[in-house]
Amino acid sequence: MNRWRSHRALRRLTTAGAVVAAGAIILTGCGRGDGGGASGPESKGSIDDEPATGAVEVWAMGNEGEVLGQLAAQFEEENPDVTIDVTAVPWESAHDRIATAIAGGETPDISMLGTTWVGEFAATGAFEPTPDGLVDEGSFFDGSWDTTIVDDVAYGIPWYVDTRVLYYRTDLAEAAGVEAPETWDEYKAFAKALQAQGATSGVSLPPGGFDSWQYVTPLAWQQGGDILDGETFTLDSPEWQEAFEFYGSFFEEGISEPVRLEGGEIEQKFIAGEVGSFYSGPFHVSLLLEQGGAEFADKFAVAMVPGADSRTSFTGGGNLAVFNDSDNRDASWKFVRWLAEPETQVQWYDISTDLPSVEAAWDDPVFSDDPYLSVFGEQLTDSKAPPAIPTWAQVSAVIDQELEKVTRGETSVEDALAAVQQQAESIGTGQ
Amino acid sequence: MVALSPSAPTPARAPARASRRGRRATLVAWGFAAPFLILFLVFMAGPIVASLAMSFTDLTTRDLQTPFNVDFVAFENYVRLFDDPRFLRSLLNTSIFVIVGVPLTMALALAVALALNTGIDRFRTVFRVGYYAPVVTSIVAIAIVWRFILQPDGLLNAFLGWFGIQGPEWLQSTTWALPSLILMAVWRNIGTLMVIFLAGLQGVPKEHHEAAMVDGANAFQRFGNITLPAMRPTLLFAAVITGIGFLQFFEEPFVMTRGGPLDSTLSTAMYTYNQFGFGNYSFASAASYVLFLAIVALSLIQFRLLGRRD
Amino acid sequence: MSTITGGTQMTDAAGAGASTAATVTGAPRRRRPRPRWWLYVVLTLGLVAMVMPFVWMILGSFKTNAEIRQYPTNFWPLDPTIDNYTQLFGRLDFATFFTNSIIVASFVTLGNIVFSSMVGYALAKLEFRGKRLLFLLVLGTLMVPGVVTFVPLFVLTANLGLVNSYPGLILPFLITPLGVFLMRQFMLSLPDDIIEAARIDGAGEWRIFARVIMPLCGPAVATLTILTFLASWNNFLWPLVVATTEDKYTLPVALALYSVGQNAAQYGLMMAGAVVVVVPVLLIFVVLQRYFVQGIALTGIK
Repeated sequence: MNRWRSHRALRRLTTAGAVVAAGAIILTGCGRGDGGGASGPESKGSIDDEPATGAVEVWAMGNEGEVLGQLAAQFEEENPDVTIDVTAVPWESAHDRIATAIAGGETPDISMLGTTWVGEFAATGAFEPTPDGLVDEGSFFDGSWDTTIVDDVAYGIPWYVDTRVLYYRTDLAEAAGVEAPETWDEYKAFAKALQAQGATSGVSLPPGGFDSWQYVTPLAWQQGGDILDGETFTLDSPEWQEAFEFYGSFFEEGISEPVRLEGGEIEQKFIAGEVGSFYSGPFHVSLLLEQGGAEFADKFAVAMVPGADSRTSFTGGGNLAVFNDSDNRDASWKFVRWLAEPETQVQWYDISTDLPSVEAAWDDPVFSDDPYLSVFGEQLTDSKAPPAIPTWAQVSAVIDQELEKVTRGETSVEDALAAVQQQAESIGTGQ
Repeated sequence: MVALSPSAPTPARAPARASRRGRRATLVAWGFAAPFLILFLVFMAGPIVASLAMSFTDLTTRDLQTPFNVDFVAFENYVRLFDDPRFLRSLLNTSIFVIVGVPLTMALALAVALALNTGIDRFRTVFRVGYYAPVVTSIVAIAIVWRFILQPDGLLNAFLGWFGIQGPEWLQSTTWALPSLILMAVWRNIGTLMVIFLAGLQGVPKEHHEAAMVDGANAFQRFGNITLPAMRPTLLFAAVITGIGFLQFFEEPFVMTRGGPLDSTLSTAMYTYNQFGFGNYSFASAASYVLFLAIVALSLIQFRLLGRRD
Repeated sequence: MSTITGGTQMTDAAGAGASTAATVTGAPRRRRPRPRWWLYVVLTLGLVAMVMPFVWMILGSFKTNAEIRQYPTNFWPLDPTIDNYTQLFGRLDFATFFTNSIIVASFVTLGNIVFSSMVGYALAKLEFRGKRLLFLLVLGTLMVPGVVTFVPLFVLTANLGLVNSYPGLILPFLITPLGVFLMRQFMLSLPDDIIEAARIDGAGEWRIFARVIMPLCGPAVATLTILTFLASWNNFLWPLVVATTEDKYTLPVALALYSVGQNAAQYGLMMAGAVVVVVPVLLIFVVLQRYFVQGIALTGIK
């Protein structure tokens, strides 16, 4: 009959646990108090031009972490008294690693960040604002610089950038007698024409789900719509209605197969001619050249995304931020400043193939003479990032979800956007 | 009768000698438990209490550096959870997953363990390693191969085609995505349970089997009357840890469907993971403790069914 | 008759006395069941379904990146290459990561074997005050989803000054509720008679534990070793967070550097890495599964 006793004991244990926990809160939790944050974020002063000294610990993800050491060696040469210790961090769960490091007070001096993480981590107060006069914000692409801004304060700098352009099969386009589209109307006709040449999807788009907001948001931007107006979400505006309807029409009219292609599938289907066009970042160029064989280079091209009032695309990339806890902030900022110099950025492209966030670096023939990269350079001047609010990941997940309902015909655009707006408002901007 | 009355007698009523012996026995027993207790107190008790406490506050990412600077919100997180249709959907998905997955995995694993233990006498090592292979195979390789099996023109539909059946688009269908992932999880978990059952089978006294054979009991009678009862503690262990594992169903939807299409494979663990990712730490803690209660409830049922003599 | 496994009473029907007779008369003739060919067929079909992804992983590690991403995929490598392995060993400080993994997994496994057995013994075979509470503590801890305690555990580890150290990687896992529960359940099925007999002979509890009980726990210890070693060996999130510099990275953390890029994954390298990681686990499995041999239990008991 022990099980009865076990039940009772378990219940007692659970109750005890709850009491202890509640007690712990009452005793230790002092509440938020008034103001929200203690004192406003403050930079600890400007950075001089003296050589950097001391040790600087840098976290960088994936490939960047593996090769940053090569670039840092040059900085060490120019500044003999400094050592840069780069730790490579896997992309997988890098976000968790930074979050726990902040919680445990174990942060490095500098970390690389995904552009969409800035808002969230800046809200913890873990980052130092970019010192005045460290860099000229006008030298960066506008869309990229905006990723560092949280509540009108800049945290760190954009390090490298990434944007999406339209990849399309030139042979199919030629056979159909169409050219890369510039407007929405041309775009749809273009995709239909590619489909008529044998592609199952004229353009491949994710039918909702994880990260599909990155495909639909530019459509709203292209008509002058946006995600936020000040502190207010504008996700049910007419621009968003149009965007959702236009996006959904590709599935309704059968121009896009309602299939989510995972990494690896899309380039194979593109090479096989089953996908006529798709949106992607620069990394797909080398992938297609590698897998399509030598002759495939003549069968595809990239173009700026088609648009309405503007031809805005989505931008991402990597930022650099300096932590408040840094023991060596001077040298850290000096290193960051050096990484943002146009010459360094060109060198960094050589080492890592990461695209420069500084516009001046794009004057280098490496970029301006390249048939693919020059398109990316052009696109970057008209590209945008989502607002750096801490709750963006959560809000964007709602867009992903509702967009899927629309493309699957489960709900109307009006209802979907009403739901997005209502949920976004209840999530808030986290500020 | 020892096993049935483990609670210590009240010292006042017990004879002095027995009490002294009881006290000594208690001391010895706690000596055995000391390493666990010390590590429990240092590394487990604090984080558990802290995380439970967290679920009654409004802590999010912004409070990471100042975790005590938060408001006590009582059961608000729990109320909000049960107001969220996505959370309720995840509970439903998880329940289906557990109800179908746990018995299926246990039955198959037990069958494999029995077959490998007594049914065959050659190539045992090969079979054991082979059936264990899914446990150690990289999840990335598993995801690629299973996608290859489940895609619309994949192996499974080709197989069904031989019988004139037009298979669905398994992972894109709101009806079939969850069953597909259940199948995959069962496949992945058989190996671990097989190992546990193989070990448990060694504890079944052989003499009993031989006696029953002489009495003319057939294989099924021997299984039901001897093997199963003798394996009860092992079965209980297996049931509890499989229940825990399946209630925390995460990796399969994470690599295969991300919870889609339309949340049809969204599990509670995945919902929680997303909330942690959004930085909603207190809300995610609350979701975890709902899951904890579900695990406790399931385990109580299992203890009742299988733990008669514990 | 307070014993063990529920089977005792049941088999009383067959008669405890008959049992002795059975061993003598029945043994030579019907020791082993006749092998059944249909069982081999069924098991082999199952085997194919179980090992296919594993084999694909191994074959994939010998494919070029382009080939592995091909769709539909080839099963056999068209153009076998060991490039993935040379790259893997060339780019990684392999010795360091392997050593770290071995150190962590060995201590964790050893700790779990020794300490879980001790607590398991107390819970299964000793009578003492607070026993039920202890067992509930073990079960309760087992049932708390690990993800929820992750951040508090890291904050604690940081406050203890254990970040980026071996103790920080090992101590939180040195003993697990799962191991305790496992050992308790196995020990429950051991007969009390042997313990009673040893007590009458004047043996202390520690001696009984070490000399009488543990030798009977071969299959259980083998199981625990397999489960714990695998869990520790594959653990990713904790070492990722605790090991803040590369010299403390374990193998899965280091390999993840090449797995999920922000954009394109290097599948060939990933497969080679997965194969390298799996080898020690499989070796341990192959060695230990030999302990799953009937006959250890109960021999020598009347």
